[in-house]
Amino acid sequence: MPGKTPNSNGRKPVENGLQKNSKDGEKSAAKGKPAAKKGAKEGEDMTVVVPPSKSTKQSSQPPPADAEGDVAMEDSEKTEQELEVKVDPVTQTISDIKSNFALLDRAVALFDARFSLRALRSISSLRKRLNPDILAQVIAESYPPTSPSASVAKQLLSAIGRENVPLGRQSSGSEMEVDSEPKAQAKNGSKKDKDANKELIPEVDIFLAILVQVYMFDTKQFQQGANFSKYLSERIHSLNRRTLDSLSAKVYFYFSLFCEQLTPQAPSPQSPVVTLRPTLLAALRTAILRKDIDTQASVIVLLLRSYLLTSHISQADLLVSHTTFPENAANNQVARFLYYLGRIRAIQLRYTEAHEHLTAATRKAPASQCALGFSQTATKLLLVVELLMGDIPERATFRVTNMEQALHPYFLLVQAVRVGNLEDFETTLAEHADTFRRDSTYSLILRLRQNVIKTGIRMMSLSYSRISLRDICIRLHLGSEETAEYIVAKAIRDGVIEATLDRERGFMKSKEVGDVYATREPGEAFHDRIRACLALHDESVKAMRFPMNQHRLELKNAQEAREREREMAKEIQEGDLDEDDLGGDFDGM
Amino acid sequence: MAAERTLQQIITQLKSNPSLPYAEASSLLSKAKLSLLQLNALTPTANAPSSLLLLARSVYEYGALASIRARNPDAFTRYLSQLQPFYELPSSQLKPDAEMRNKVTGLYLLLLLTQGRYAEFHSELESLGTREGADGPDRIESDRFLGYPVKLERWLMEGSYDRVWKAMKKGEVPSEEYGVFSEILTSQIRSEIASSSERAYPSLPLSSTKSLLFLDSEGAVVEFARQRGWTVRDGTIYFPTAAEAGEEEEKDLSQMVIENTLGYARELETIV
Repeated sequence: MPGKTPNSNGRKPVENGLQKNSKDGEKSAAKGKPAAKKGAKEGEDMTVVVPPSKSTKQSSQPPPADAEGDVAMEDSEKTEQELEVKVDPVTQTISDIKSNFALLDRAVALFDARFSLRALRSISSLRKRLNPDILAQVIAESYPPTSPSASVAKQLLSAIGRENVPLGRQSSGSEMEVDSEPKAQAKNGSKKDKDANKELIPEVDIFLAILVQVYMFDTKQFQQGANFSKYLSERIHSLNRRTLDSLSAKVYFYFSLFCEQLTPQAPSPQSPVVTLRPTLLAALRTAILRKDIDTQASVIVLLLRSYLLTSHISQADLLVSHTTFPENAANNQVARFLYYLGRIRAIQLRYTEAHEHLTAATRKAPASQCALGFSQTATKLLLVVELLMGDIPERATFRVTNMEQALHPYFLLVQAVRVGNLEDFETTLAEHADTFRRDSTYSLILRLRQNVIKTGIRMMSLSYSRISLRDICIRLHLGSEETAEYIVAKAIRDGVIEATLDRERGFMKSKEVGDVYATREPGEAFHDRIRACLALHDESVKAMRFPMNQHRLELKNAQEAREREREMAKEIQEGDLDEDDLGGDFDGM
Repeated sequence: MAAERTLQQIITQLKSNPSLPYAEASSLLSKAKLSLLQLNALTPTANAPSSLLLLARSVYEYGALASIRARNPDAFTRYLSQLQPFYELPSSQLKPDAEMRNKVTGLYLLLLLTQGRYAEFHSELESLGTREGADGPDRIESDRFLGYPVKLERWLMEGSYDRVWKAMKKGEVPSEEYGVFSEILTSQIRSEIASSSERAYPSLPLSSTKSLLFLDSEGAVVEFARQRGWTVRDGTIYFPTAAEAGEEEEKDLSQMVIENTLGYARELETIV
């Protein structure tokens, strides 16, 4: 362990302490979850939820054990009382936030982005519990008034409207609800002087700032949020630390989210989204130069989103062709990127590519409930693209419980296309025009008209060996027989049907349908599937992760084993060891 | 101020006689652009007065129309990209002129359509939907200028060539500039029809081919058939059959199967 923390001696004790903490914190958090569920059932949440919060408290405060013991006793005595219910979520939240600091510390010390990602993941659970008081308290407690980063803390505080909260530990008592006071004060006294010489890493600043962003977004303070994000992005830009990458990606994400919400909203060319683009492009350039994969991926996705919001398709296309999306970006970003790419390609009539990207997007979309909106939107677009390609989506897609309702208009659409009924198609289009427009699939669906006609012709060519153009015209509600003739001729050329036209007598004669298995089609389908399987195998091999320096550990183990062997051999030579003592292990060696 | 007055004069001149020969129009336009340059209004700036912006925009718009009349698509595209920043301005700074804008955009759509740049056509169309003041595709279709290329595209895609043909007749075309494209479109649909007929009919009598291809006389049909390499016998056109290519494909197929199988074997080896 000590070999891996390349820090100066002065900081080591703190660091080690923190590392231990975080482990404790994780454990308790893991324990806390199932326990909390159980507690909720029994109707006495707090008895069960409190211990984890205390254990994290305990571990983050190394000092006096006896004081700690007192508090624990107090807590357990009070658990039955209603009073506790008010306070505990606050302390719990605070300690949860703080446990993330440890993760960030570890991320910096070990230079492993996984820890910061873990910290970021906790945001979604913290999100609902945030309020300015909690944030102010955390900030005040984390920053000693004398430290050089105090100005940063001031900024954070003013952003949430708590400028008057003094920095340092003492404030916490007064800010908090009454009954936690003894607890807070007991610890404050001893902790304070240790804090003074401990410098806060910038990662913690930014993490707190992200929490502030989240809080502002949830409380709809969009303008303030945008201003704050602007300041924040400038600060990140000046910091240039690789361990900040995943955090800065998040900062830009919220920045652009704020801008989207400001008036005038998106389609208007005066929207703040448009003015944000230079900032994002600059961030992208810097991220590429610094090989900052997280920010790169996230900013590309944000730019694409912004371009598509204002329908600047050609710009979006240019962006895609001039940048390479980082290969090992986070899965969620990849899914988003693929969705936007699929959208661009669909608009450009490159349906095959669009289909490929959208299928990948829907598969990569997280399966959990929180990303349901994304998978619904992506599925909708995928369905339309499939229809445009002349395929009929599977019925099962519409039966998935959490999709059924959202996809209903599309289901009707598919039905109309499948039967080739132009009338049904028009009515569905008119009825659900608003839905389609909201999903921004309307213009794509308008293009489906020709597919409906084609399917209609195909159905007729399959059912009749000979049909007059007049009948086709009537059934498909086409304007005239001439129109029908041209359309059928085009369908024959495009390979939709196998038939010939007779102009003098005015009918369409279908050719005999050949045996599919005599063609190369089954072979091609088979080939496609095998290729997909092989690609999957390759990707999973690539996705395997090997911990850093693991091979050195193995070398060390091997060395030790060799030494043991030598010792044993020596002992045998000396005759100290009997045959029985050796056991099976030795044989193995 | 003098420059502004010359601009005003040029614009009234361009407006009053739209049938000005291109050489004259372009000399006027370059004069106008020079004065714009003097006024520093070639591209919109934040503090430019709206009257000046209006002048600059009209210069470009007339330039675009003139270059279409002169059948100069490159010049037209240039004017259009110069117009773009003016169209993006907020209505408080420059009062939008929807009719002129739609006219120019419609022409651009038509140009893309005749050049077969469908991807760009649809990208442009998509951005129309979100344009300020337009409430989606319904408005686009009912617009005289924008609806025309949109409908043409749909008919072309469907294969209703007779409707395209009808739409290109006099009186149907929304404005004189749109007529410029009719010629290109006619030859385009003619070759489309020809290629579908090759596949769809075993043979066609000359007389009905005339109406099918929208040609004027049977002589023209014979001429057209010669160009496409069709054989004409006893007043009937016979199309060359596409069966010759079969043999080669067969060979391809077996080669492909071998290639695939070798590929699988290689992959399997790397896995095991």
